[in-house]
Amino acid sequence: MLRLLRRSVQARAVATTVALSSVLLVVLGGFLSFSIGNGLFDARLKQVLAESEVAVLDAQNIFAASSVSDEVALQTLMNSVVPRLEATGLADSRRVALLRSPGQTGAQILQSPISSGLDTALISPAFRSEVRSSTGRVLYQSIQLSQTENGVITSNPGIVVGSPLDIPLAGDHELYLVFDLSSEQQTLSFVQQTLFIGGLAIILIIGGVAYLVTGWIVRPVKVAAEVSEEIADGALDVRLLEKGEDVVAVLARSFNKMADSLEQKITKLATVSKMQQRFVSDVSHELRTPLTTIKLAGDLIFEARDDLDPQLRRSAELMQGQIERFEILLRDLLEISKYDAGAVLPELEIHDLKQLVTSAVSSIEPLARKRGSELRFELPEGEVLAELDSRRIDRLIGNLLANAIEHGEGKPITVAVGVTSDAVAVRVTDQGVGMSESELQRVFDRFWRADPARKRTSGGTGLGLAISLEDTLLHGGSLDVWAKPNEGASFRLTLPKVQGEPVTASPLPLPETEISSTREKPE
Amino acid sequence: MNPKILVIDDDNALREMVGIVLAASGFEPKYCPDGNQALSIFESEQPDLVLLDVMLPGKDGITVCQEIRNLSGTPIIMLTAKSDTNDVVLGLEAGADDYIVKPFQPGELTARIKARLRPLTSSEAIVNLGPLTLDLDGHQVLRGGKQISLTPLEFNLLLTLAQKPKQVFTREVLLEKVWGYQYKADTRLVNVHVQRLRSKIEEDPDNPKIIKTVRGIGYRAG
Repeated sequence: MLRLLRRSVQARAVATTVALSSVLLVVLGGFLSFSIGNGLFDARLKQVLAESEVAVLDAQNIFAASSVSDEVALQTLMNSVVPRLEATGLADSRRVALLRSPGQTGAQILQSPISSGLDTALISPAFRSEVRSSTGRVLYQSIQLSQTENGVITSNPGIVVGSPLDIPLAGDHELYLVFDLSSEQQTLSFVQQTLFIGGLAIILIIGGVAYLVTGWIVRPVKVAAEVSEEIADGALDVRLLEKGEDVVAVLARSFNKMADSLEQKITKLATVSKMQQRFVSDVSHELRTPLTTIKLAGDLIFEARDDLDPQLRRSAELMQGQIERFEILLRDLLEISKYDAGAVLPELEIHDLKQLVTSAVSSIEPLARKRGSELRFELPEGEVLAELDSRRIDRLIGNLLANAIEHGEGKPITVAVGVTSDAVAVRVTDQGVGMSESELQRVFDRFWRADPARKRTSGGTGLGLAISLEDTLLHGGSLDVWAKPNEGASFRLTLPKVQGEPVTASPLPLPETEISSTREKPE
Repeated sequence: MNPKILVIDDDNALREMVGIVLAASGFEPKYCPDGNQALSIFESEQPDLVLLDVMLPGKDGITVCQEIRNLSGTPIIMLTAKSDTNDVVLGLEAGADDYIVKPFQPGELTARIKARLRPLTSSEAIVNLGPLTLDLDGHQVLRGGKQISLTPLEFNLLLTLAQKPKQVFTREVLLEKVWGYQYKADTRLVNVHVQRLRSKIEEDPDNPKIIKTVRGIGYRAG
């Protein structure tokens, strides 16, 4: 129920309307029932009092006009008064009691006549003393009359009216008339019942109307929401029905207009992206075929360089070197455009990171030796297993090592491997020229080099770290750098052990200032 | 007589350059500039090996590869500019034995060609493997007296596995022994060719009895 209220605007509107109108109707019904009850009671009371005054006067006249002198005659007279004043019948029953006031001198010699079925306990002593002290006026009190009918005790409202009555020879008496208000109660109950049923019907009608009205308003919104959902799911050609001139139609029209332009933009972007991918693919083929010819020719010339004169031989050597550079540049360019096209999928397998580091180190060792950089290792015991694309990570580690050797100025280079429960890491640290703060910020930029004036000895393309970063992000890992001018640089690759699992912390620390490459992987 | 190599490539310069490299290494190059002529030149020249560019005008390389394979088991090496696309797998499935990614070095090209032309060596003349009989002299495989037509590469692959039955060969070892790769190469070569071989020798290729896959490691015979 709560979920329905939270999810449906219509249910919420209907519930609110019903709740508010219920409160209103309860207040209104209560007020009506109260004032009708009061009105009924007042009218009856007036009648009761008038009747009572007549009855009291009647009784007084009877006793005053009588000239009885003996007790028996008096008793007979008294007994005759009660039935005379009584009225029977269900609706307007009136019962009578003629009671002798207590506290008089002389014993009670006469019996107090009381209507049958009247319980004198209903007449409270307090009321009786009030009646005794009143002079000539009738007093009344509201009471509850109990009635046993077929074993069921029902309680009806009633009024008791009392007046002192002086009976010659018999002393002070009090005349009580007890009126039954059950017919008024019945009327009130009926009115209340009618009010209740009427109120209930009104609430139901209000609820229904609210449901219908909110439905008219909510339905187009609901349809719009469903259509938006469909568009978001890729069905770009779904539209709303445009009908009429009202605000809903305006909504539908502007929604459709928005969807149109969205569809156009997306289609255009998709076309551009497809064209770009196609372009990259074509360029790859078109450039690679002539490059193959150049390479084959260059190689033949290079192999025969000893037969050439010195100038031609040098030319052959230069050409050979540049062909190789061109090839690497082309390869890197294609790799990065593949990333840009979002067309890269890693080939994941479980590998030992230590083994990858060892193989990367062994292939770069000749270069390190040539530059005089000693390679030092900090490796943990046992295997360092992680799920990764070995070709890419091998290339990445090789690239970090090549950078360290190139910028390491022949000083020792430390290669560390670390592992925790959820991550593995490789850190390559050199003690070379390092980088300034501003250089550090640009280290992953394409075609950026730490020092443009420095000679390019290992023939990097300027795309190495950009590709390394893409490779890292492809694995859901992070590539962090620390560097300080003339102190060296440290690159740390952290990868999750299992793809898709989060990494709490890198297994290896980096010196204080670092720049993190962790960024949101593009969709 | 020098081995005859048919170079099918639409790029004139590359075709001629490859020819120069081949001639320098002691091969006899023959040329074909497009896909439509490929089959007729192949039939008239009867080359020992075909170098085939994947992207060709006219009939594309994949179709040419299938057509040549329908005629004979002559080794086919594909030349491709795109190593990581479907082209490679399509080419291998069409029957190519191996592929080289452009740009390549002369040494790489000749090494691949030589690996494909190298004659088989075995101490035995007849090797039995389950229901199969491998006749090395006749270079044929018999199953219940009936001959099964295998390409030289498929024969080589089957023989390598059959010579040491029950032994598990990793894909890397097979790449070295059958294809002649000294360094890490594309394991798709092994996967595709094992599938092709199974489709020829197994009764139910989906439920192989002769060449079994050892999950996570490689393959074994029997």
